Amino acid sequence: MSQAPRAQRAAEWLIEAACRRLADDERADRCREWVAELPAILEDQSIRPSFLRALRALTFCVGLSRTTRQLRGRGRAGSRSSQRPAGTAQPPASEVAVRALAGGVVWLVVTSGVVALLRTHPHPAGWAIALALALAIAFDTFCVLDVSHAGQVRYLPKWAWVLVCLLQTPGGGIAYLSIGHVSRPRPVPPGAAKP
Amino acid sequence: MKLTGPLERVFRVLIDDPAAPHYGYDLMKAARLASGTLYPMLARLQQEGLVDSQWEAQRPDASGRPPRKYYRLTAEGQRVARLELARANAPAPVRRAGNSRTRLAPESPR
Repeated sequence: MSQAPRAQRAAEWLIEAACRRLADDERADRCREWVAELPAILEDQSIRPSFLRALRALTFCVGLSRTTRQLRGRGRAGSRSSQRPAGTAQPPASEVAVRALAGGVVWLVVTSGVVALLRTHPHPAGWAIALALALAIAFDTFCVLDVSHAGQVRYLPKWAWVLVCLLQTPGGGIAYLSIGHVSRPRPVPPGAAKP
Repeated sequence: MKLTGPLERVFRVLIDDPAAPHYGYDLMKAARLASGTLYPMLARLQQEGLVDSQWEAQRPDASGRPPRKYYRLTAEGQRVARLELARANAPAPVRRAGNSRTRLAPESPR
């Protein structure tokens, strides 16, 4: 069974990566605790066959990554003000629906516009294709830059939004801008009570 | 404190034998929880002083296994867990206030 040591190493690497988020005083302790749990998972005879144990160890690590993200968030919330910045809160479902609908309309207008452009200039149409391509590249670049500069995004992790933007032009980018994009928090004067 | 389903399961496992130490994976299996749910919960309970943890003593017959961290309810934790579980087990109180006519109909089976 050469699977277990390899899985153990991969899981240890993932745990170390997850623990890097933590503060110095907590990092070594957590890392040691979780690495010590790995043998119990990789030798858990109630999980068969053995590759499922390796999978279990990996999902364990994914959960730890979530844990360290939460622990870090909690530490920050404790050290700074307890108020979360505006824009973090999930918007109500109705607002998301309206934004998604607006995104869909934009997508429809853009795609039908491009299709119409290419239809009306069918023959060599080099410039029409070049224009559509240039617009697509500019839009993708804009979206990826927006994701990477954003303090935070909604629903998906940043890398997933980048992937979505690049894989589906322009639908992915429009989806990001309509529902994933978080508008910049308006500065709230300290001490001001929220309604 | 709000007794959620996962928290209730963790309390049940821990209160079953309050003296028994549990390590994380053991608790995950017993309470059927994912690591991403269990560990933040344990950290919170520890912060509130309901759970404490200690490192397993390094045994002399070192089998190569690194020492684990064990979790246990504190005295306060046992008190709170018993209280919360008892409250969860108790039937929901019947509300008598308000219009009595609406209460005359038998409760429809869920």
